[in-house]
Parts: sequence; structure tokens; C-alpha cells
Amino acid sequence: MATQAHSLSYAGCNFLRQRLVLSTLSGRPVKIRKIRARDDNPGLRDFEASFIRLLDKITNGSRIEINQTGTTLYYQPGLLYGGSVEHDCSVLRSIGYYLESLLCLAPFMKHPLRIVLRGVTNDQTDPSVDVLKATALPLLKQFGIDGESFELKIVRRGMPPGGGGEVFFSCPVRKVLKPIQLTDPGKIKRIRGMAYSVRVSPQMANRIVDSARSILNKFIPDIYIYTDHMKGVNSGKSPGFGLSLVAETTNGTFLSAELASNPQGQGTAVLPEDVGRNCARLLLEEIYRGGCVDSTNQSLALLLMTLGQQDVSKVLLGPLSPYTNDIFKLMEMSEFLEIRGQLKDKE
Amino acid sequence: METKDQKKHRKKNSGPKAEKKRKRHLQDLQLGDEEDARKRNPKAFAVQSAVRMARSFHRTQDLKTKKHHIPVVDRTPLEPPPIVVVVMGPPKVGKSTLIQCLIRNFTRQKLTEIRGPVTIVSGKKRRLTIIECGCDINVMIDLAKVADLVLMLIDASFGFEMETFEFLNICQVHGFPKIMGVLTHLDSFKYNKQLKKTKKRLKHRFWTEVYPGAKLFYLSGMVHGEYQNQEIHNLGRFITVMKFRPLTWQTSHPYILVDRMEDLTNPEDIRTNIKCDRKVSLYGYLRGAHLKNRSQIHMPGDFAVSDVSFLPDPCALPEQQKKRCLNEKEKLVYAPLSGVGGVLYDKDAVYVDLGGSHGFQESDEARPTHELVQSLISTHSTIDAKMASSRVTLFSDSKPLGSEDIDNQGLWMPKEEKQMDLKTGRVRRKAIFGDEEDESGDSDDENDEEMSEGDSLENSSSDDETEKEEDAEMADKEYMTGKGVKRQRLEEMEEDVEVDLPAFADSDDDLERSSEEEEAEEADESSEEEDSASEGERDILESKAVGEGSKAGLSDSLNPEKSLTMKKAILTTSDSGHCTAEEAFASEDESEESSSLSTEGEDSENEEVTRKKIPESSQVVSGQKLGLENLINETSDVEDLLREEESYKEENKFPTETSGALKWKEDLSRKAAEAFLRQQQATPNLRKLIYGTVTEDNEEDDDDTREEIGGLFRVSQPARECKHKADSLDCSRFHVEAPHDWDLEEVMNSIRDCFVTGKWEEDKDAAKILAEDEELYGDFEDLETGDVHKGKSGPDTQIEDVEEEVKEEIDRSTEESAKKKHLDKKRKLKEMFDAEYDEGESTYFDDLKGEMQKQAQLNRAEFEDQDDEARVQYEGFRPGMYVRIEIENVPCEFVLNFDPHYPIILGGLGNSEGNVGYVQMRLKKHRWYKKILKSRDPIIFSVGWRRFQTIPLYYIEDHNGRQRLLKYTPQHMHCGATFWGPITPQGTGFLAVQSVSGVMPDFRIAATGVVLDLDKSIKIVKKLKLTGFPFKIFKNTSFIKGMFNSALEVAKFEGAVIRTVSGIRGQIKKALRAPEGAFRASFEDKLLMSDIVFMRTWYPVSIPAFYNPVTSLLKPVGEKDTWSGMRTTGQLRLAHGVKLKPNKDSLYKPIMRQKKHFNSLHIPKALQKALPFKNKPKTQAKAGKVPKDRLRPAVVREPHERKILALLDALSTVHSQKMKKAKVQQHLHNKEHFKAKQKEEEEKLKRQKDLRKKLFRIQGQKERRNQKSSLKGPEEQSK
Repeated sequence: MATQAHSLSYAGCNFLRQRLVLSTLSGRPVKIRKIRARDDNPGLRDFEASFIRLLDKITNGSRIEINQTGTTLYYQPGLLYGGSVEHDCSVLRSIGYYLESLLCLAPFMKHPLRIVLRGVTNDQTDPSVDVLKATALPLLKQFGIDGESFELKIVRRGMPPGGGGEVFFSCPVRKVLKPIQLTDPGKIKRIRGMAYSVRVSPQMANRIVDSARSILNKFIPDIYIYTDHMKGVNSGKSPGFGLSLVAETTNGTFLSAELASNPQGQGTAVLPEDVGRNCARLLLEEIYRGGCVDSTNQSLALLLMTLGQQDVSKVLLGPLSPYTNDIFKLMEMSEFLEIRGQLKDKE
Repeated sequence: METKDQKKHRKKNSGPKAEKKRKRHLQDLQLGDEEDARKRNPKAFAVQSAVRMARSFHRTQDLKTKKHHIPVVDRTPLEPPPIVVVVMGPPKVGKSTLIQCLIRNFTRQKLTEIRGPVTIVSGKKRRLTIIECGCDINVMIDLAKVADLVLMLIDASFGFEMETFEFLNICQVHGFPKIMGVLTHLDSFKYNKQLKKTKKRLKHRFWTEVYPGAKLFYLSGMVHGEYQNQEIHNLGRFITVMKFRPLTWQTSHPYILVDRMEDLTNPEDIRTNIKCDRKVSLYGYLRGAHLKNRSQIHMPGDFAVSDVSFLPDPCALPEQQKKRCLNEKEKLVYAPLSGVGGVLYDKDAVYVDLGGSHGFQESDEARPTHELVQSLISTHSTIDAKMASSRVTLFSDSKPLGSEDIDNQGLWMPKEEKQMDLKTGRVRRKAIFGDEEDESGDSDDENDEEMSEGDSLENSSSDDETEKEEDAEMADKEYMTGKGVKRQRLEEMEEDVEVDLPAFADSDDDLERSSEEEEAEEADESSEEEDSASEGERDILESKAVGEGSKAGLSDSLNPEKSLTMKKAILTTSDSGHCTAEEAFASEDESEESSSLSTEGEDSENEEVTRKKIPESSQVVSGQKLGLENLINETSDVEDLLREEESYKEENKFPTETSGALKWKEDLSRKAAEAFLRQQQATPNLRKLIYGTVTEDNEEDDDDTREEIGGLFRVSQPARECKHKADSLDCSRFHVEAPHDWDLEEVMNSIRDCFVTGKWEEDKDAAKILAEDEELYGDFEDLETGDVHKGKSGPDTQIEDVEEEVKEEIDRSTEESAKKKHLDKKRKLKEMFDAEYDEGESTYFDDLKGEMQKQAQLNRAEFEDQDDEARVQYEGFRPGMYVRIEIENVPCEFVLNFDPHYPIILGGLGNSEGNVGYVQMRLKKHRWYKKILKSRDPIIFSVGWRRFQTIPLYYIEDHNGRQRLLKYTPQHMHCGATFWGPITPQGTGFLAVQSVSGVMPDFRIAATGVVLDLDKSIKIVKKLKLTGFPFKIFKNTSFIKGMFNSALEVAKFEGAVIRTVSGIRGQIKKALRAPEGAFRASFEDKLLMSDIVFMRTWYPVSIPAFYNPVTSLLKPVGEKDTWSGMRTTGQLRLAHGVKLKPNKDSLYKPIMRQKKHFNSLHIPKALQKALPFKNKPKTQAKAGKVPKDRLRPAVVREPHERKILALLDALSTVHSQKMKKAKVQQHLHNKEHFKAKQKEEEEKLKRQKDLRKKLFRIQGQKERRNQKSSLKGPEEQSK
């Protein structure tokens, strides 16, 4: 019989996404045990199950086995198939949670991926669709993933806890990625942003803009923050507002920050001015950290670098995000793909 | 007299001189040269047609771009691996002889028996790995995948053989390596003309197969059982200067042609279970792409590499030097499977082959006594060669070339002809082409007729006199070669390989022995085997054996010291966080190892001990190895190394000199220093942070550490930090714990420079750049006004201006600096100009190429300064390295049945190439293959690195994309094929053979093609017709039964199109209740009860998941070409004598035809009425009886009346007769009268004619007269 690539085994649900994505890309089966085994509510959560379902939709021939309690998951990846897919994401996590993984997988499909994701577009935990659109897409373009069919569109906005947002993402297929040399971030030449508000007064967005500008104006005059007030069916099921800011440098790297209001019924009400000011400060923090790739996309950049050809890619990163995602991710890369990166400290 | 003989001067018509003259001539005529023909004749060059011009432009551009290849990043390593030269040919064609000659040509060494690949240094920049390829199709397939160059040997006296064509086809499928044909046995031709003809014929046939103009080399004849030196030298030159095209598969996959194999299994395991899975280490040069550690690799099956390490190059290229040719010492040869090379490196040991325990003595004694034996041994191989050549002459005499009937179907197809070799009894598979047949027949005739001694000598006209004589004296040859060849000591080394293979079994006998003894024994017998008793010791290089006695003695004397150093080594290894095994190469002797602790005096003593013991040892250990031990710990420093070097020099006197084996010693100290430094190097902290820790599943600790309460419950302790981590939130956002206070001025200032409004670096600051430009372009002269503008001169130059007169040196320096500045300026201007100028020229292609080149440079530069140890971790093992690969769980047959003649190829697998799925391919049955292929018959594919048996399904794609199953492959057409098996990337070529065992008649390659698609599911369908019968017929509606079994099934097919056999179309409407599965259907016409209704559907087929790797390497020695996998049903049926039971319906039965009765035609009345009369049925009713009243009474005459009637009859008859006669008479009369009248008329006409003639004559005369008178004029008239 044919030899199946030996599987990897892990414990705990941490980095579930990365493990499954890497498993899919490398074709090695993975077994994850003890998923929240000691928890009061053991097993896979809704959003993780939804993620696994999404993987099943975009692949062909995957085998997924989950035990009774949901604490053990065996995933034998199939071939990345792509095509037109629709998926209802769990409202526990935002679409960004799913989209981050899709961004890694989409270029390697068999057929170009065209996917409609429904759920929460902006929340406080995951990178919002706005930020991914503003930062991750230009990053992918650096890798040569380009073309008119490469787009991310927010059709509807949905805030937690109700959700009701809709995002359309399409990506062309690229078998080979260009190696990148991102070692000089350049200087920030402009700041753009998006202040959105749904099911609240349209004035909220304007208030956010004003407060954010009050801080950022001290650094650079070229600031433009769009206001986006969605109405009717496009506004999802829950009220909310927020701001995402993106700083673009002369060399085409993007640094981002974002902040959203507390979901309805959770926490205290937040003033839009606070959102604007805090978000602007977060952006400054991000700028302070520097790097050619902002903190949310560090892992994406590193993964795509390893998936390219055997050419040398270089990227300058700020401090690795404390989530340590990247660190562990790199480690897993060395297990899944047998690739190691050379790390050098600057200064 | 002499002047007359001189040639007359001829004017030059071409060349530079003529050109010059022509130019001058044209100038004299004031015409100008060709260049300004445009000027001279502008009309001729004017645009005549814009369309045509556009077309011609397009065409030139097309031609230009056609030449472009897609640029790829140049990944060729700086030090490339040896080039794989595969010497291929049918048996007895001279492969081994050629290899021997080539090796001798390059290295001046003679190898008598060649097993496995032989690596040699052939030039300053090139190494070759030469390997022989027999006619086992497994070997042919394997070697075609790794070959860079194929030397295709063809027996010219015999012609092409099937193997040649098979191999060419295999090569074509797996990327086409360079192929060079070599014609041998040319000395068997007696006549020059025939030789020429043969050469030409073979050459052209070879060209059609490879490419027109492919190199075909001729080896004209043998001298002393070897090819002629000059020819071999030329061939060698060709090989060394040859350039190679990169092949896609080879450059994208790492692969190794194994040249050494060691069994590392624990001997105890083998003792307990001889069939246990083995752990082997395989050695070879890495080729192709970078190899990652722990990646998947394909041997005969798929294995995971358990460990890879690189070793010092055993056959290294010479260091850079100025000389043109190689030094004698640098002409290395490395062939461990043949027992050549002398020094074998392992991960932690170096084995030096001393040529047996009596190696030294042999050189001065035993020359004359052993000569006879040696000559006998050495002649052994040349007998073969001799036989090969002698057979040829005998063979050409009695060539049984029967003129076979050749089926010329327009195919250029070789026909196999089995030819029996008379002398050897070997069956040769000759490939004969249609047109060759008669030619060869002719040549045979020639051969027979013109058999004379003189001609045969003429044949080898290129040879010199002496060689001719030798050719004639074939019989003496054997003796001469036997005498001429000197057997070298090297040959003895091969024995050790022979011995160490079956050595494991021996340990069974030694059960009683003490463990210490056994260890020593083992070390002797299987000396290359690594002692993996304890893991801690693995890093220490253990000296294996210097004879049994010496080992014991040494171990006694060194025990305390040794254990000390061992401990130390363990400590040091555990200290370093890096888990990579220390790489240590041969630099020290066992005795030297102690020298790091003791003095040098001791050192030399030990050495003496070993030296003494070697001759003493009574046991003849064939492959005695000097295990060299190396221990480099952190305490040792560079001084230590220096000392080692000194002791090494002493050791140099040690008589272990074997030819070509000294290379390893040359830079021992350097290697040791390198190893030391490598370890010293501190790893970057960041790397350690990431790669240092492991998140493997750690269940054992968390179960054990928990206390139990009452033996039943466990305290669920608050999970530790790592446990928290294991289930933490999966989110990529960076949440800042301690944000800065961005209202503070200094905090704000910290990032101010990150904005464009902030301060820039020196070299990018706008003001600065502007100033620089000013400096450079400051000076300029206004040409119009003549003003000279001077830029500001720097302060330093001003100062120097003042001091100018004082010091000349400074003056010079200033001059220089000025000059430099000037040059700088010029360069900058030129660069700018170039950039501007080239911009118009540069195309997309150029840009792309430039980009690739830049990337290649970057790739090279990135790891250039790092040592291999660190480099290997990032980029993997790069091609060109000599690597050692450990593989576990290898079937024991691989080791037990190891045959060095069969190449082992380790092919690295890509990321998902280890997975299995459905592979779709475009396949075409080979036009030379005699049979067609059947779906679901097992067939052996060679795809990627693999050879495996699987069950394909053939299909053809319909116009709507449906993949329809085929029972058999089409004859001359491509079709699709799908099998279940390992996934191989799209675009990979493949070939299929029905079986790999033995010799099959005819061409063996069944099909070729390319991989199109990979998937985990298939869409192949086959046609399924469902039939039913009407059981109730209304007008256009019928009820059909028998097609389905249930209403549910019907519901699935509602609306489907159905048809009767007679062609009435219809549709399924709805299920009926009454008979289960019946339905209502509507048709376009009324059915008959006899109609059969059917529906065409498509049924998806499934492929049996059968994947069976061809494990021919596991077969016992000598039976490796007998691998047979699953048999086809046809073969099984044949073997078991089971006849196919045919379907009864398919059988032919006697045809019984019933007489047909037709009903009469009935036309409805209404229609009849409407018909025209013509078509109306005219079936009159029979005349009915006339009614009695209409019935007329019969007339009955009286006798008298009857008489009257009779008389009247008679009279009327007479009268009518009379009248008839009279009529005839009258007719005759009339005729005569008519004739007479005609005569009269004629006469009358004649008369009238005469009369008229006369009249006209008179009239004419009269007129003439009148005319005459009128001509005379009036005066005459008047006269």
C-alpha cells in the first residue's frame, strides 16, 4: 500500500488554525489531542468547528475525525480545490479569523477561490476585514499574487454579537510566489482610515474621525479618514462602531491599528472620541514598533516566504507579537515544511 | 619556364579586401556604398504597404521572442556534483570495457571489476560518476531518471537492438539527457565500403531518434582487449567539455545515486530475528535540488529520512591552481562498491583501507611467485572482452538473416528478431527496420564473396601497422593481455565489501563469547558497520579494529583515559543546546586521542605498539580498517590542534600508502580546526528562542506528576503555564500591555523620524542630495557665452592649494584625488546616460532576466560566509555535497540481497508527493507495442521517481467534458487514464510497461504520456441503458414497467428522456401505483406493445485502490529482473486453464427465418373516393349472371342457309385474293412508271443545263467584249 506521510501529533487547541493550514499545505496529516480537555466545556468550540467545516469546503478528499467529546481531532488533508464557496462563519469570532487562514491557502488552490463569508466583520479580538483589506492584500501583492480577480469586498457589515455581515473574497491561483526583499520600510507618507458605524447615529463616525485626527495631525498632515455608515440590510444585526487606521510608507508597506466599540450588551458603553483617540495611539504604537509588515500580518508574511521557491526572501519585522504566534508558527514550519528561517537581530 | 607555371592572379571577389576595393570604386563613381542605398534610392525603401510592413515587423518580433526561454533563477551550485554518465547498451557490446578504458584514461588506474558507480575526477572543474546500465528494464528506467549523459553503445556488427530503442524512449519520457552514441565492434567489418555504409545507416537512424546531428562516436577496434587509447582520449575530451541542459525533474528534486551502503542495525536484533527491519545508511553525492532533513525519500518504496549528514568529499575537486592539467595526485577515483578509494568517511569515523594485513609486505616480496596467479585472475575479465570480440567475427560469417516478411504499415517500426549467439548461447533482440532488411542481406552477400585477407587489412586503414598485425593475431590476444596487465593492489580492497555484507550471520556462532570479545570480533568482521551501542558514545569516534590482538591490548592500556574522555564528550554534547551531532572527521589516531591528555612520548609508544601488532595478527582480516578517532571537546584549543598536526606528520611515515588514497590527509588539521571553530560559534539568541523549545505532545509528564487521592481520584492541579498556552486564544492581534504615553513630547519625538516630515538619513536627505549634486555638476561651461562656472571647491582642497608648493607628495595626492573626482563624475554621467539610453531598449524579458539574476546573486550571497553546518540548517543540504542518509525500517531483503551492480537511487519527494490520490494522465499506447491495453489490467508505471504497479482505467473525453470509460486503449490516439496512486506533479512524463520481469518478446514499453491532473475523486462514467416494456398504451401515453424497482427511483428520473428502439422519443412523467416501479410516459407517437423502451444513463465507475511498488531491489541476487506483480485476469486464466464463460446471448445460433404473411392492403372508402382514377383500386367485380330477360337466344341455321353462308364465304375469299393480287400488280406498275419518268426528267435537266451553259458562254463573251471596248476609251470606241 501507499505510504501515507507520517502524521504529526499535538496537544491543545492553541494554533489550531496554523496547524491545520500548514497540514493542508504540506499534505501531512495532523492529530490534535486534548483540546480543552481540562475545561468545564471541553472540546472544540463552535468557531473552530466552523473553521474545520470551511477547510472541508475548500478542499477535496479531506478526512476529518473528531471524537465524541470533541477533544481529539484528526485531520488528513485533501487537495486544495477552491472554486465558488459560501460559508456561514460562527459569530463568536469575526470573519478575520477565517480570512487570515484563507489568505494563506487561497493562492495554492486548484481553481481560483471565490468565497462569500457571512458573520461578524469587525470585532475586538480578531483583525477586522478592513484592516486585512488594507494591509494583507498589499502584502500578498508583494508576493506576486495579483490580478483583477484579487479582491476583498465588504458587502455588509456585521457587528457582534448578532453578526449579519458579508464579505466577498476572491483570489487568483499562483503556483509560485515571488521572493520578497522587504528590508527598508521607508517613511510614512500618508495615513488613511475607515470609521464605520452601523445601527447607531451617523454622527458617531464623524466624532471618531475628529478625535483621531487631533492626535495624528501632530505628525503628518496627509490624513484622510473615510466614514462608512451602512444602513438597512447592509448594517447587520447589531449596533456598533469603530475605526481602523492604516499608515502607508514611501516604500509601500502598511502599518495598521484598529479599535471597535464594545459589543451590545457586553461591557460599558464606549465614547466614539475614546475609540478615535485610542486607535490613533495604537497606530503610533505600531509605528514605534516599526518593521515592514505590521504585527497582525507577521505570520502571513513569514508563511508565504517559506512557501515560495527556494529563493532567499528577506523581511524586516518589528518585535514579534507577544501572542508568540510567529515563534511557534516558525517552529511548526520547521516540522511541517522542514524550512528554517535565518533570524538576525537588527542593531 | 618557371614563370609559365605560376598561377595567374585572380581578383578577390569576397572578403575584406574585395569589400574595400568595391567601396573605393563606388566612391570614385560618387555613388556611395550599400549603406546609403537608402539615400540613393529612397523610393525603393519607401513604405509600400502599411499592412505588409506590420506583418513583417510582427514576424521578426515573433522570431525574436521564440528564441527566448522563460528565465529561471540560476540555482546551480558553485561546486557541482559529479556528472552521471550512464553507459548503456545490450549485453556483450563492450560497456565494461569502455568504462575501464575511460577510468584508465582519466586516472591511470585500472579497475578489473566494476560494481556500482565509479566517481572520478576528470578535470579541474569536472567530476564524473560512471555507471553501467544493463538491459534489465528496471535499471534502465532508474538510470534514465538520473543520467546527465548517456553513452549509448551500439554493436555495429549487429545493428540496433531493442534495448537501445527502449532506453531512448525511457529517456524521452523522463526528460531527455544528453545522449551520445558509441559504435563498437567496428573491427569486425572486413571491407571499408561496407563499414562506411553501416556507419551511415546507423548514424541516420540514430539521428531520427535523438536529433539530427547527434554525436555518434566510433570506436574502431580493440587492442589488447581494450579500445584504442587515442579514441578513448577523444571520447574523454568530449565528455569533459560537454555542456548540459538542466532537466526540469532533476533540477526540482534532490536525488542521490548511492555509491555505498552500510547496515547500521543492532547486531543483537539481527541475531534474534534475522528478518528484522534494518537501519541502513546510504552514501552518495547529492544532486538536483536542496535536500531537507527528515524529508520523504523514495528508494524502492517511500521512506522518511531519519538523519542526513554531510561528509567531506571523498573525491574532491582539486584546489584552485594555475596549472592547466591535473596533477597525478589529483586524479582521484572513488568507487566504494568496487572497493576502490582507500578512505571511507563516516559521520564519526574514517576507515582507511590498508590493503589487508599483509599489505605492506606484499609490495617487496611475492612478485614473481604471485605473477602467475595474478595474471590468471586479471585475465579473467579480459576473456570476456575477448570473447565478445571473437564472437563477432565468427558471427558475421554465419549471420542467419532470413528475409522476414515485414509488415510495412507505413509505420517506421523496428521489428524484433531473435538471434541466437552461437558461441555464448545468448539470445539477442535485434531491432530491424523495413528498409534495412535488404541492405543487410546485401552486405552479407558481400561478406561472403569478398573474403580475402588483403581486404580485411584495408578495413582498419586508420590503424597503424602494428595494430593491424595484432588484429590478425586474435588468438594470441588472450595471452598478451594477461601478461600486459598488472594487477594492482587496489583490487584487493574490494574483498572487504564482499565480506562485510553477509557478516551479520556469523555472530550466531559466537554466542558463548564474552561481550568484549564479541565486540572486537564484530568490529573485525563487519568493520564498516557503525557501533551504535550507546547513544552517548556515538559522538565519539571509536576505533574499530587494528587486528584483534591490538584492539585488546590497546583497550587495556587506554581504558582509564578513554573513559575519561568519553565522559567529557558526553558532557560537552549535552551542554550544547544544539542537538546536531558533532561532525568530526578523521584527524587522529586512536593513540593520538590519548595524547590530548598525556604526553607526546606516550603517543609515539602507542603507535609503535600498533605497528608491531599488525604484522603479528594471525587472523587474516581482509578488509582491515583503521578506525580513526576524533574527539574535539571544548577544552582543547588551537595549540592542541597544532600538536595533532605534528603527530600526524609522524604518522605519515606509516606505510599505508595506497594509490589515490592520500587525498584525505592533506588538510586534516584544517578540517579539525574547522570542526572546532564550528562548535565554538555561538548560536544567535533569537534562533534558540524559536527553534530551541519543542511543543510536542507531552502527556506522560502531566499524568505522572499528579498525585492520586485514595488511588481513585486525582487532584486536578492548576495547569502550568505551558498548559495555559496549549489552550489559549488563537488570535493574531498584538495587544499592547504597556502603551506609551503619546501625549509626552519626548515619546512623540521618538517616532517623528518615521514620517516623511521627519529627519532623513544622511544619504537620503533631500538637502544633502541636492548639495551633492551641486558639487558634482557644479562646474560647467556655458558654451554660448564662454563663461566658466566654478563649483565650490571643498575646504580640504583649498587648504591643499596653499600647501601645494611645500610638499610634492601631497600635490600628487591632490592630483590623484582630483583625477578620481573627475573619474567619478564621468562615471556618474555615463551611468545616467546608459540608464536613459537603455530605457528604450529594455524589454519585459530583459527586466525579468535581470531580476532573476539579482535573485540568484542574492541567494548565493546570503549564505556565502556561513559554514556548512549552519548553512545546512537553513537551506538544506545543497547539491554537490557528499551526504550520508540514514533510513530506518528498511526491509531486511534490501540488505541481504544487496547487489552493487544494481543502482540504488534515492529520489527526494516534494511536499505532497508522498500522498496518494487519483492521478489523471494523457496516455498513448506506444506505436511499437504490439498489443492494446485493457482497462482494469494491472500495469507498471514509471512516474516521477517511482516504479509501481497499479490498475488504470482508460477513458475518453466527450465533447461535453464527460469522461467516458474505454474498455481498451485506442490504437493510434491519445486517451485519458486514471489510476489510484502516489500524487506526482502535473506535467510529469511517465511510461508504462506490462511487466518488468525477464525478457519479453518485442518492444517492452507499452504506453507513454504525461500527468494532467491530480484529484481525490474521479468522474469517469460508463454508459448504462435501462430498459422497460409498455404494458398499457393509450394514444401517446403509455405505461411502462420493468425499468425501475420503486416509485422512489422513478421520482429521481422524472423528466428524463426515454426512447423506443424504433426511435420514438418520449419522457418519463410520473410513477404509477400499481406495479412497483412502473411509470407513465408520454411519447411523440403511439407505441406498440412490442416496442422496447430504454433510457440512456451514465454510471460512475470506481477505480480499485491498488498501488504496488516494484520492489525489484529486494529480490535475491541474480533474480532481480524477475519481479512480477499482480497478474492480469488473462494471465491468470491462462495459468489456471480457466476458459471464459461467454454470455449465452452473445453466442451464434442457427438462424431460423419464419415465412412472413402480409395482410392485404385496405384503402378506406373515403380515401378511395378521393384518389385519382389512376390510383383507384380497379378490382372489377366479376361479371355477374346476365338476367334471363336480357339473355339472347342462340341462332340456329337451316342447312340451306348454312350452304349459302359457306358459298358467300368462299366467294368473298376469292375476291379478296384477286384484289390483293391486282394491288400488287398495280404497285409494280407504278414503280416502273415512276422510274421511267425519273429518267426522262433527268435527261431533260441535262439538256437544259447544256443549253444554259451555252447561253452563259455566249453571254460572257459578249460582256468581255464590251469590257474591252470600254477599256479602250471613247476614242477607240469611236473608232
